[in-house]
Amino acid sequence: MFDLFTSMLREEWRVHSTMFGSLSFALFPFLIFGIAFMGSFVIPLVEKTLPVGNLAIVVHANYLVLGLMVGGFGMLGNEVMNRRFGQASLLAYSARSLPLSERNIFASFVVKDTVYYFFLWVFPFAFGYILASPFIHVPLASALYLLLTLTLSFLFGLCGIFFLSTVYVWSKPVFWLFLILLFTGIGGILATGLNPAILFPPLLLHNGFSWTNLLLSCAVLASLFTVSLWLFNPESVGSEKRYEDTFSPLLQRCSPLPNPPLAAKDMIDLYRSGSLIGQTIFSFIVPLVVIWFFLSLMDRMFPSHGLVFLFAITTGVIASTMYTWVTMFDNFGPYACLPVAVSTLISGKLTTFAILQIIPAVFIAVVAALSGEAAYIVPAVVLGIAVSFYAVSVMAWLCGLSPDVLVYDVKVLFVYLVLVGLVITVFSAVAFMNPYYSFAAIILAIPAWLLVQKAKVRWDAVDPAGF
Amino acid sequence: MTLVIEARDLSKAYGDVQAVDHVTLAVKEGALFGLLGPNGSGKTTMIRMLTGQTLPTGGEARVLGIDAAKDPVEVRKRVGIIPEQETPPSFLTAMEYLKFVAAVRKIPDLGKKADWWFDFLDFADKKDVLCKDLSRGTRQKLMFTQAFIHEPALALIDEPLINFDPIMQDLVKDYLAGYVKSGNTIFLSTHILEVAEEICSEFAILHKGKLLHAGPVADLKAEGGHLPSFFLSLVRRDHRV
Repeated sequence: MFDLFTSMLREEWRVHSTMFGSLSFALFPFLIFGIAFMGSFVIPLVEKTLPVGNLAIVVHANYLVLGLMVGGFGMLGNEVMNRRFGQASLLAYSARSLPLSERNIFASFVVKDTVYYFFLWVFPFAFGYILASPFIHVPLASALYLLLTLTLSFLFGLCGIFFLSTVYVWSKPVFWLFLILLFTGIGGILATGLNPAILFPPLLLHNGFSWTNLLLSCAVLASLFTVSLWLFNPESVGSEKRYEDTFSPLLQRCSPLPNPPLAAKDMIDLYRSGSLIGQTIFSFIVPLVVIWFFLSLMDRMFPSHGLVFLFAITTGVIASTMYTWVTMFDNFGPYACLPVAVSTLISGKLTTFAILQIIPAVFIAVVAALSGEAAYIVPAVVLGIAVSFYAVSVMAWLCGLSPDVLVYDVKVLFVYLVLVGLVITVFSAVAFMNPYYSFAAIILAIPAWLLVQKAKVRWDAVDPAGF
Repeated sequence: MTLVIEARDLSKAYGDVQAVDHVTLAVKEGALFGLLGPNGSGKTTMIRMLTGQTLPTGGEARVLGIDAAKDPVEVRKRVGIIPEQETPPSFLTAMEYLKFVAAVRKIPDLGKKADWWFDFLDFADKKDVLCKDLSRGTRQKLMFTQAFIHEPALALIDEPLINFDPIMQDLVKDYLAGYVKSGNTIFLSTHILEVAEEICSEFAILHKGKLLHAGPVADLKAEGGHLPSFFLSLVRRDHRV
C-alpha cells in the first residue's frame, strides 16, 4: 500500500514535469512562499483598514475554498480522469492489473493528491508567513499555529466536498436531503443572530487553542474521509445502457455558433458524465456560497454597493475555471485522426465555455437580487462575465488544452496571477467608484480576443504529443 | 506511377531517444504498403508524422502532395487514419460518434453509409451504446469505420487487426485488398508478419528508428524468400550490429 502511494507521488511528479520540466514544477511552491512572505510585510500597512481578525477570516476562507475546489474526488469514479489521462495509464486506473482493491487504490490516490496539494499550496504559504513573522513582530508560535489552522481549513474544504461529491454519486436523493439539512442548519444558526463562521473549527482554533476543538476537528475530518471512502463506488464498466441520439438535435441548436460539432460533443460529455451538475455544485456554487458568506462578514469595509461587485468579479474568476470542465474530457489524442487543428479545438472548447457562462450570469443576478442590489444586476453581470472571458483567454493562451496541468508551471501561474490580478484590482476600484462604471469592463473583450488569437497561433505551433 | 507518400530523411527525436532516424521512403498510388518492425521501432511515430499528428525534428514528409508538417489539417482531411489506440469520445454512442465524424468531415448522407458499416462489421446492435462501454474489439470496429467512411484515397492504419477475432480479421483483410484494387492506397503499420505477407504489395522494415529494407513483396517471394524469416534475420542481424 505504501509502495503504491510512493509510486503515485512519483507518477504525479512526472505527469507535470514531462509537460513543463521538473524545475518549473518544483518552483511552484516557492512562488506561493514568495507571495506569502512578501504579503506578510503588507499586513502592518493594511491593518487599519483590514483588521487582523478579518484578514484571518479571508485567509482561512481562501484555504477552505481551495479545499472545496480540489476535493471533488467522489466524481472520479467516472470516466473523466480515465479519458483525460487514459493514455498515460495512471496507477489510479490499474485496479484490473494489480492485486489491490479499487478502494485501496482510490484511497492512495486521494491521500497522494492531498499530500501534493498540502506541499504545493498550504505549507509554502504558511512557511512564508512563518519566515516573515520576526520582521513584522508576530510571535513565532502564532505563525506556526497558522500552519495548523490553515491546514485544517484546507482539509475541511477538501473532506467536506469529498464527502458531498461521494454522496452525490452514491445517491442523489440522499445528497439533496443532506444539502437541505445543511443549509437549514446554517439558516437556523443565522436566525439566532449567531455568526456561523465562529463555529468553523479552524477559526475557533485560530482565535484560541483548545485540545477539545483540535481533537473534535480531527475526528470530524477522519469521519468525513472514512465515510467517503466507504461510500465510494467505482463506475461499472461494460454496462450496455442504450441512449437516444442527442448529438443531432444539439448539433442543430449549436449551428449558429463556431465549431458546432465540437460544442455539441462537449455538452454531451458534460451532461452524460454527470459533470455539468456535479461541477456546477462542487466547483462553482458551493465555493461561491462560501466566498459570499465570508465576504458578507466584511461588508463594512466596502462601499454600500461594493460587495456585490466584488462578488461579481470573484464569480467571474471562478467561472473562468469552467474551461477546465470542458478540457478535462480529452486531450488532442482522440481528435488526431480528424481534420482539426489544436486551434480549432481551443475555439470549440471556448464555444462550450461561452454556453456555460449562462450559469455565472444567472448566479450573479440571483445573488444581486437576494442581497437587495437588484438595481445593479446588469452592471454586475456584465462585470462578472467580462472578467470570466478575459481570465479564460489568459488561461487558453498560457495553457492551451491543458489548464489543469499547466497551472502548476510556476511561470504560467505567475503570468496568470499578474494578468488577472491587474484586471481584478483595476475593475474593483472602478466598480467601487461608481457601479455603472462597471460597464467599462466590456473593453476587456479586446485583450480577450487578442489573447485567444495568440493562443491559437501558439498552440498550433506546439507538438501536440503531450501524454 | 504517382507517389502518394514521400518521406525524405524523416527524423523524430524525443530528447535523447531517436524514434525515427533519417528515413526515406516512397509509397506508390494503389499500393498496400506494410510498415513492419518490432515494438518500439518507430512505426507509430512514422504514421503520426505522416499525418501531421506530431512534428518531425528533421526531414520532410509529403502526403498526397501536401507537406504534412505545414498543413496537417489538409492531410487529415484527405486521408483516413486508424490511430494506435482506439479512443472514440467516451460519452457519445457509436452512432453519435459517426455523426460527429461526419459533421467534422462534412460527409453528406451518412445514414446509409453508417448502416452499411454497422452491418459489414457486425456491430449494429451496439450503435446506441456509449463508446466507453464498448469492448476493445467493437471500439476498433468503430475506429475502422471512421477511417474509411469518407472513402479516402489513402488510409494510414496502425495495427488495425489487433483487437479483432479471426473471422473479423479475415473480413477486414478482404476489405483492404479490395480497397486497393479499386485504385486507393493503404499504408499499414503492423507487426503481424503473416498478415503483411498475405496482403501487402510492398513493405518496409524499421528497426530502432532506422529503415533496414524497402521493396515489393513479390520480389522477395520471387527469390524464394519468406517475409517472416526475412524480417527476423534482418532485425536480429541489425540487433547484433
